[in-house]
Amino acid sequence: MNKLIMLAVAAAFAMQGGLVLAAGTPDTGPGCGLGKLVFQNHLNSKTKGAQVVMATLNGIGGQTFAISTGTSGCTDDGRIWAEQKTTMFAELNSDALAQEMAQGHGEHLASIATLLGVPPQHHAAFFGMAQSQYTSLAQAGNLSAGAMVKALNDGIAADSALAKGALN
Amino acid sequence: MIHILFTIIAFLSIPSLSLAGTISHSYQHELIGQARQARLADEREWHLLLHYQNSLWGGVTSEADASEFFLSPQGKHNPQAELDATITQFFSVDPVGRSKQPAQCAFIARYHWLKERLHFDREQLAPLPCERFDRWRAEMNPQGISLIFPAAFLNNPASMFGHTFLRIDQKGQTEQTRILAYTIDYAADVPSDAGMEFTFRGLLGGYKGFFSTPPYYLKVQNYRDIENRDMWEYPLNLTVDQIDRLLMHTWEMDNAYFDYFFFKENCSYHILSLLEYANPALHLRDRFSLWTIPADTVRAIVDSPGLAGTPVYRPSRSTIIKRKRVLMTGEEQALSNRVMNNPDTIREAGFTAIPVNRQAFVLDVASDYLRYKGETDDLEMTVYKERNRMVLTERSKLPIPSEDIEIRPFTKQPDVGHRTSRVTLGGGWRNHDTFQEASFRSVYHNLLDPEPGYTPDAQIEALAVTVRHYNRAEQTKIERATLIDIVSLAPIDDLFRALSWKANVGMQTIRRRGCQLCNNVVADGGIGAAKEFHLLTREVIFAFAEAEANYSKAYDERHLIGGGATVGLLADITDRWKLMVSGTYRRYPLGDKSDEIRWYTGSRFTLAQNLAVRLDYHHRDRDDDVACSIQAFF
Repeated sequence: MNKLIMLAVAAAFAMQGGLVLAAGTPDTGPGCGLGKLVFQNHLNSKTKGAQVVMATLNGIGGQTFAISTGTSGCTDDGRIWAEQKTTMFAELNSDALAQEMAQGHGEHLASIATLLGVPPQHHAAFFGMAQSQYTSLAQAGNLSAGAMVKALNDGIAADSALAKGALN
Repeated sequence: MIHILFTIIAFLSIPSLSLAGTISHSYQHELIGQARQARLADEREWHLLLHYQNSLWGGVTSEADASEFFLSPQGKHNPQAELDATITQFFSVDPVGRSKQPAQCAFIARYHWLKERLHFDREQLAPLPCERFDRWRAEMNPQGISLIFPAAFLNNPASMFGHTFLRIDQKGQTEQTRILAYTIDYAADVPSDAGMEFTFRGLLGGYKGFFSTPPYYLKVQNYRDIENRDMWEYPLNLTVDQIDRLLMHTWEMDNAYFDYFFFKENCSYHILSLLEYANPALHLRDRFSLWTIPADTVRAIVDSPGLAGTPVYRPSRSTIIKRKRVLMTGEEQALSNRVMNNPDTIREAGFTAIPVNRQAFVLDVASDYLRYKGETDDLEMTVYKERNRMVLTERSKLPIPSEDIEIRPFTKQPDVGHRTSRVTLGGGWRNHDTFQEASFRSVYHNLLDPEPGYTPDAQIEALAVTVRHYNRAEQTKIERATLIDIVSLAPIDDLFRALSWKANVGMQTIRRRGCQLCNNVVADGGIGAAKEFHLLTREVIFAFAEAEANYSKAYDERHLIGGGATVGLLADITDRWKLMVSGTYRRYPLGDKSDEIRWYTGSRFTLAQNLAVRLDYHHRDRDDDVACSIQAFF
């Protein structure tokens, strides 16, 4: 099952693949369909005509996080699966995270620190670590969100103060 | 002894099984009887739970359109039958609804409300565990609720209609980690292969609307980053109990869908119904009969005493860039523009000479802009993304964190804005006659309406009509009617270069040759540019190239088709006083061949949030028209 989600996440990240995925997902209800989500972004960002229509009728869009349609891809009763939370966050916020890691500051960085269990008093140290290791983190991010999350975890483990904080 | 005990247990258990059946059966009837006696099916809370509304021909109809949402086949129209069926179903563990749970869990808000009102006896109606709900609620981890309003999309006045949704603020979150919260969103489910027909289906209830709970970071990404819209977050003062009710009812909504109507039963309308169930003392939807405009719902919520707190502002990327650029010296601005075009500039002496914290700032603005272009520039997306990567790599080598900079909005929060419907009463002179007039505009905002709370330089008006009585001619006429009239002025600067545009379809009366007060139907549109100045307070000048088509019996061959140009100025003289001046030249090579010059001067003075006076002067050919009026927004 995990593999399936990762596949969905990966396919979704392949952008255009999302369209095919959305059509091919046998959703019963509104469904998770990260693919649909990507389609939404696709609509918004790729064609001006669609952009205008989307904005005009905003409030109309693909359903992505139904409340309790059981397990439909990436969510269970509307909650993102706990074990996928961090990876999914990294996946869906890759641009913002890259920018904020380079700047050593920002809400996406603070949020992923929280998801990784870094307590607030160690956030500044975590931000510094992310900034100093930006190049290798960005490379890992190009590979996959999972790889970037792993690289961040490795960065925490290698930093004695951070590692201690994350354990507490 | 043990043997005897077993015998007794065995003896007791056999009749007790069948007894349980009869007890529950009779208890079920008892509860239904109590509920009927207490007339619970007529209560506001039951109607809110089932989304009943009075129907035109008497009685009630539920707005919910999913059959699984009702436990009685008559449930959509019959509150009593639904209440009886609901009580009956609470005695069963069979899964019901689209969410496939026992009724006590699938309709957990109904269960809790009825349990409280009828004092369910635990022995006779055992409460069932609802683990799925408990897990979901634990994950939502609610501490508070905020109402989120993304403001209009720049250069698209139609998006002024906006969107609203709720955010479930979690325990232990800070402003820095707010994006991890879940939201409660209502939207139509549009198939991914929908084409242009989706405009019509969206307007006419052709799609199903569902509630969902996406994380806030996706909404922020969608509205702030991709669509480049400012966002306003209003914390709502709800009690712990009201938050619980809101969540329970949201959970029930998973069994429902509603036909989506863009104008009335839209996102904002259904968000209001959730809030009304959370606190039934609220009557938020009463204001909205024919259409529900999201910004008006924000005002309805803010107008409810004590409901909304001070809003938090979340600036769009373009607002961030514009505000940050003001904090740079001319030299830094030039550097940052050069970095945007060629990241190798970073290695030049001119860049490395400035202090490290200013280098970081210059790179941050460049990266903001490159990200913005990477999201919005369809053709060169990859070029901008690549440049951004180069800038970020250099930025990471400067080992200082970016500072928090307070970004102020260009537009005040939506709740201080005027309401969107407008009535006008006035009088004036036209040529050698005097008149009185009254007009009504359904929606939304005119360039000369009071601007606080509205996207600057954007206008959208729809369904407006003006009736005039001419005293000397002793005639009462429809003077003007507007189907739709959009103007989007997009001031350009060295980073943001969008075209301004306008489109209008309507009618007015004209004076032409022997024809006085002749009806004329017109459609026109134009493309142009605008530029902003700050000589007095704030001025925008604009120029358009336009095309126009007219139909009237006043013309030879009944039509007049041509084009021309308009130049004009829109100026804030003071906070309350706004002025517009424009001049237009038209040449009509088709139909009644001719040309003409028009002048317009309009001026508005704001008296209160929903009250203003206007003075308008129109000159067209040999037709002069001056009107003075008072406008009320409601």
